[in-house]
Amino acid sequence: MASFIPNLESAPDTCPEFKRRKRRITDEKPASSHSHQRNQRIKRWRTQREQHIYSSKLIQALRRSRRTSASSSAAKEVHETADRVLAVLAKGTTRWSKAILTARKMARHKKAKVAANTRLRKPAVSREKRKTPVVQRKLKVLGRLVPGCRKLSFPNLLEETSDYIAALEMQVRAMTAITEFLAGSGPQPPADRLASNVNS
Amino acid sequence: MSSRRSGGSRMSDDQIADLVSKLQRLIPELRGRRSNKASASKVLQETCNYIRNLHREVEDLSDRLSQLLASADTDTDQAAILTTLLI
Repeated sequence: MASFIPNLESAPDTCPEFKRRKRRITDEKPASSHSHQRNQRIKRWRTQREQHIYSSKLIQALRRSRRTSASSSAAKEVHETADRVLAVLAKGTTRWSKAILTARKMARHKKAKVAANTRLRKPAVSREKRKTPVVQRKLKVLGRLVPGCRKLSFPNLLEETSDYIAALEMQVRAMTAITEFLAGSGPQPPADRLASNVNS
Repeated sequence: MSSRRSGGSRMSDDQIADLVSKLQRLIPELRGRRSNKASASKVLQETCNYIRNLHREVEDLSDRLSQLLASADTDTDQAAILTTLLI
């Protein structure tokens, strides 16, 4: 699959064999390898391969949604599509990605019982007496910024934050690249651009 | 070290400091610093700022993208194919 994409795998901080091996492994491993698993997942967001996958899935989703929906608030729709594709790519292993997908389902089907489920799931106690009120407050703010993480304990919130930040950074890189590409090739016929870049 | 089961109420200061330093490494603002000892409050503040910035960037990009897609309607299919090949 990577054969006709020239020199895109040459980033020094990504390891092609490693990525291929770990690509499909998503089942829950025992706790001893959990943090290792988590780090691999975060590193995955930083690979070019993941960005390419995200870009192509995003474009497909955008094309589909443009055909079906109205043009009112197109920007909001692009944003929601971008978030949804990102959450799907996370393969449902993180809380923030599940929260994004759940929120969309709630908006569509108006299921109140989903809200009840999230309350039952992890009532993490947040009574750390060793943290100052200032830190407590900022933790709360952070919990509100990361989807679905309002009531997490500090370690869990941190884990979600790490993954979420890596995913967001990739989202920005991918959307920037797409936007620049479309802006660049908008007025001119795409054939010219293709001829100058790929000549094999 | 990961104490997922505990409610967090038994976390020592060391554990907190450790987690905070881990978070610090993710934030570009704080990563370049020699002294890897920003306070927990500052790290959390910068983290929140960073996430908010990223959100805003995505929102701006969504806006631009929606305009580009609207104005390039007939070429969207070609653009889509080319984008997946060249990006």
